[in-house]
Amino acid sequence: MASSKAVQGLKHVKPILSTDTNQARRRVLNLYRAWYRVVPYICETYTLPITPEMCRNKIREEFDKNRHITDLRVIDMLCVKGQQDLMETKNVWKQMNHIMAYFKDTVNPQPQDFLSKFYDGHNP
Amino acid sequence: MLRLWPLARGLQAKQVLASLARCNSSAPPEKLEVFVDDKPVLVEPGTTILQACADAGVEIPRFCYHERLSIAGNCRMCLVEVERSPKPVASCAMPVMKGMKIKTDSPLTKRAREGVMEFLLMNHPLDCPICDQGGECDLQDQSMTFGNDKSRFTDMDHTGKRAVEDKNVGPLIKTIMTRCIHCTRCIRFASEVAGVDDLGTTGRGGDMQVGTYVEKMFKSELSGNVIDLCPVGALTSKPYAFTTRPWETRKIESIDVMDALGSNIVVTMRTNEVMRILPRINEDINEEWISDATRFAYDGLKRQRLTTPFVKNDKGILEQADWESALIKVAQKIVQTPGEKIGAVAGGLVDAEALIALKDYLNRLGSEALCTEEIFPMDGAGTDLRSNYLLNTKIQGVEQADLILLVGTNPRFEAPLFNARIRKSWINNDLTVAMVGSQVDLTYDYEHLGDSASILNDIASGKHPFSKTLAAAKNPMVVVGSSALQRGDGTSIHKAVSTIAQNARVQSGCGEDWKVLNVLHRVASQVAALDLGYKAGVDAIRENPPQILFLLGADEGAITKEDIPADCFVVYQGHHGDRGAAMADVILPGAAYTEKDATYVNTEGRAQQTRTAVTPPMLAREDWKIIRALSEISGNSLPYDKLQEVRDRLYEVSPNLVQYGEAEDANYFKQAQELAQSVSGTIQEKPLTPSMQNLKDFYMTNSIGRASQTMAKCVKAVQDMD
Amino acid sequence: MAGLCRVSPALRVTNAVNNLCPVTLIGIRKQTTEAKKPEKTKFGPLNDDDRIFQNIYGRHDFRLKGAMARGDWYKTKEIVEKGHDWILKEIVTSGLRGRGGAGFPSGMKWGFMNKPSDGRPKYLVVNADEGEPGTCKDREIMRHDPHTLVEGCLVAGRAMGARAAYIYIRGEFYNEASNLQVAIKEAYDQGFIGKNACGSGYDFDVYVHRGAGAYICGEETALIESLEGKQGKPRLKPPFPADVGVFGCPTTVANVETVAVAPTICRRGGEWFAGFGRDRNRGTKLFNISGHVNNPCTVEEEMSIPLRELIERHAGGVIGGWDNLLAVIPGGSSTPLIPKSVCDDVLMDFDALVEAQTGLGTAAIIVMNQSADVIRCIARLIEFYKHESCGQCTPCREGCGWMLKMMNRFVQGNARPDEIDMLWEISKQIEGHTICALGDGAAWPVQGLIRHFRPEIEARMAMYEKQKKATA
Repeated sequence: MASSKAVQGLKHVKPILSTDTNQARRRVLNLYRAWYRVVPYICETYTLPITPEMCRNKIREEFDKNRHITDLRVIDMLCVKGQQDLMETKNVWKQMNHIMAYFKDTVNPQPQDFLSKFYDGHNP
Repeated sequence: MLRLWPLARGLQAKQVLASLARCNSSAPPEKLEVFVDDKPVLVEPGTTILQACADAGVEIPRFCYHERLSIAGNCRMCLVEVERSPKPVASCAMPVMKGMKIKTDSPLTKRAREGVMEFLLMNHPLDCPICDQGGECDLQDQSMTFGNDKSRFTDMDHTGKRAVEDKNVGPLIKTIMTRCIHCTRCIRFASEVAGVDDLGTTGRGGDMQVGTYVEKMFKSELSGNVIDLCPVGALTSKPYAFTTRPWETRKIESIDVMDALGSNIVVTMRTNEVMRILPRINEDINEEWISDATRFAYDGLKRQRLTTPFVKNDKGILEQADWESALIKVAQKIVQTPGEKIGAVAGGLVDAEALIALKDYLNRLGSEALCTEEIFPMDGAGTDLRSNYLLNTKIQGVEQADLILLVGTNPRFEAPLFNARIRKSWINNDLTVAMVGSQVDLTYDYEHLGDSASILNDIASGKHPFSKTLAAAKNPMVVVGSSALQRGDGTSIHKAVSTIAQNARVQSGCGEDWKVLNVLHRVASQVAALDLGYKAGVDAIRENPPQILFLLGADEGAITKEDIPADCFVVYQGHHGDRGAAMADVILPGAAYTEKDATYVNTEGRAQQTRTAVTPPMLAREDWKIIRALSEISGNSLPYDKLQEVRDRLYEVSPNLVQYGEAEDANYFKQAQELAQSVSGTIQEKPLTPSMQNLKDFYMTNSIGRASQTMAKCVKAVQDMD
Repeated sequence: MAGLCRVSPALRVTNAVNNLCPVTLIGIRKQTTEAKKPEKTKFGPLNDDDRIFQNIYGRHDFRLKGAMARGDWYKTKEIVEKGHDWILKEIVTSGLRGRGGAGFPSGMKWGFMNKPSDGRPKYLVVNADEGEPGTCKDREIMRHDPHTLVEGCLVAGRAMGARAAYIYIRGEFYNEASNLQVAIKEAYDQGFIGKNACGSGYDFDVYVHRGAGAYICGEETALIESLEGKQGKPRLKPPFPADVGVFGCPTTVANVETVAVAPTICRRGGEWFAGFGRDRNRGTKLFNISGHVNNPCTVEEEMSIPLRELIERHAGGVIGGWDNLLAVIPGGSSTPLIPKSVCDDVLMDFDALVEAQTGLGTAAIIVMNQSADVIRCIARLIEFYKHESCGQCTPCREGCGWMLKMMNRFVQGNARPDEIDMLWEISKQIEGHTICALGDGAAWPVQGLIRHFRPEIEARMAMYEKQKKATA
């Protein structure tokens, strides 16, 4: 496997947390579960204009984005980040728009063709 | 200095003898070695100490000295110690001598500077906080660098400082004469460069005043330059008064479009507003002066602007519209109209990018009726040979010329800086000037050959006595004003002029490198338009009345409602609500020259670019983009999206259009003249009268000038005075 | 203001000698070798025979007839025909130094004009703009002995190959100008000047130009400007008038007295003239004595005559006796004053007065006795200079006004003693920093005052302070 090759190539680097794939997998699943459980509370405390179902789908989507990752250390690192994010969300250290940013891009798309640039403003 | 004079005299005599000897052997003058702060530097004989120090990299403080003016030597700020001279010498006026040891940092020099600075500040008001020169004041800067750090001026009796009444010298220059330090730069500028002896001093000693003797306007087309020259805040800009400080503004290096010279300017901007316009040094064009129209017409950029598209409604009233509907309206008309029924007229302030975009677009639609407002003879070689319509000798060529024949032009107002060049050469190089056309005040003497155009035929055929003078000249120049070519017999005049020029070229034996024929244009866009293949003059439109007329900044009224069918659909694109916009069915707001990166080609054929200083107001857009957008909506898209792509296209058409800063030599004078011979027609007897006769005609020559309040005030002031 | 010619006081002669053209150099050498004769030790009084200006008091006819009776226009033709080299040699031999204040050797100055001609005409300009306070010698020549000047113009003009002479006369001198004009008319009528002057084949014209009353126009380049019809403001040098002068042509500007003595020198020989005065201070000189003397007068005397003898013999002594003398301004208002202690034995010539830290200037002696308020005298002089400053260059324009403000306070005593040093410093900032010598002329009186009368100034300040306290 590519990851094992990488590990072989960097023998002197110690794993961060997980020693093998199973451990890592368990961490990911635990994190996913924690997120899954906290969703109704998030929706309520932040008064999000979406259903918990949509929220869960988004969580699954975000996890799926990283599905292809096999490097244990990267997985661990992402798990830690996920934990942090979870903590911030649960403790209401965020605001609504931080969460809603997952659902809609806050930046309007730039006009691409000449004419829309022309209509849009001065300096296309 | 006590001892130095006889010494100087002795050495000078030797120098004269040596130079006489050198003249015989015609060897180049040998350089002298002088020592500036013990650093040896080689300079030409005759340079002043101040210049020698500049060569050595030491700047000497000065107030009255200016490179382009005569030496006055009266401020005494440039005093330096010279070894073996008991007194410090005025470095701006003292020529160097061999082995001279100059000390620019010695205690004597420093004391002398401190002393002079103290005297200057003694009667200078302490109003720096409310002075418009603050931040760019020579006195302020130099007192910080060279002055004493404490004041000894005790005024126990409260007698006060000198106070001088302010003079009213017109609507452009604000005077606070109490601040004057009597450097006389303005006086020297007026009499030497501007050629108007309006300024001078009255009184003497502490009561000396700089002024206009009697209260009157400083009546010159170059008057604004004294504002830059004034080292203190005595002469400041009236329109700019109390607006910005120099450190608050951004400076954008750009090009002027008020005349066809393309003077180099600096546009000063703050909060998306042009605050003022200053000259930028370009030895080839404007040296470091600019005309008053260039400097002060900028307030016209803020008035009468077209800020949003307009479309005429059913009742025939123009209504505000958004871009999409305005462009769709135009595109619909264009799609319905056969290509040959579309015509276009370009005005005098249009840039090359817009010109090429419009030409490409109309060509695609199948129209060839693209005209300029300015007329230029199209018969003979017409505009096919560049040499026919350029100022071939270049502006700097005036300084090599020994004879200039002006035909039907008043360069003083059509191209003030060209006129200043002629005056400079007339003063320094014994230039002879002759003129065919109405007699006008050019600030220098010229031989007036008469105002009838038929004199040109006499000169061309050698019957006129002036032909001999012309033949005897080594480097003659013949300058024909574009206003002379606006007449019905413009072709014949051009033919006669090119014959005169060709004859002079052959007879004088000036060689291939020296061009004789020169055309002095009046508007900034003309050369680029002719380079791109626009037809000069609107005859094509008159003969073949279009159904759609596209006016690209055409405001001079060359085409009126009467010239076109009543149902003709008129589109006006431009930046000012002027004559063109008044007759339009749809108005597309464009950008003025301070609001776009654009190419202009001056009368020499020198391409230069303006830079965006401020954004176009509200919905206004850069001109080439408007045409590009229109082309897309009408389903005939032009193949360029970016400025660089437009310029690539310009390069395809004519490479000189994007070789910025360079003026490519044109040639084929002989061929052009031969082609001109095929032209038939005679010169009419009526006098050659340039359109601008007096100073009051000078201020409002285009839509920007007409929108400017400052320019209107100038016209009124001149009229009141006359 | 003849005094302003002092662009080049005596001290520059030594230097100048090194830069001479050969002709004049020989002249100087000759002069120095012949000076090996046993030196005179007693100077003055002058014999009546040796007076050049025989009609200085106007007791005789100033017109041509009277002038010819006094010996003017005698053998002028022969002098002119001898040519410029001969005249120059005589002038150099005579050791004549400019009488306008600067004291530049005239032979050398006139010799500068003999460069190979480049086609431009040369001009002699006579500086008759005598405005220096205390000076009244040129006017006596012009109103009572004008023919000496007209003849001098011809002789001096011939020496420098000039085409014409312009006499720039002070505007206030109306009678002098009209007498001079009469003399010129007579000379023209007799054929002494004009085409073929004196029958010598030399063409020479003399014009009179009346000034408009500005002291600064006595400075040679300002005079040239004024003559050209411009504002009388000094020009920058170089170029010197000998290269580019009036109307752009080579020009020599010379004082009336210098020019007027030239014919007599040529007639009686340079040796005769050199027989008067000390080495390097040769000849006779018109002295003007004014102020606190019993008999103010203008008198022609031998150079190097002791000041005391001059005053006592010709001016009837100081009012109240010699011991009542306070100070003397020896050379017109722009020279520093000298106190009595110096006056006792100083000789009236260029070098002796330079040694005494003053100058001969125009030899206009202003005598002040104990009744004079010397501070107020000098303050008045500064007011004059402030009024007459042309305003062209900064130090003089601004400095004179400042000095006047301070001097006016000094007169009352309303100042601090350390301001005296400041005034000294300011005068030094003006001196030598200006285009012309007016700045120097304004600075020197102040310097003389501070140099010799500092205790008086301080005493007055102390008194003022005391009075103020008493009234407070």
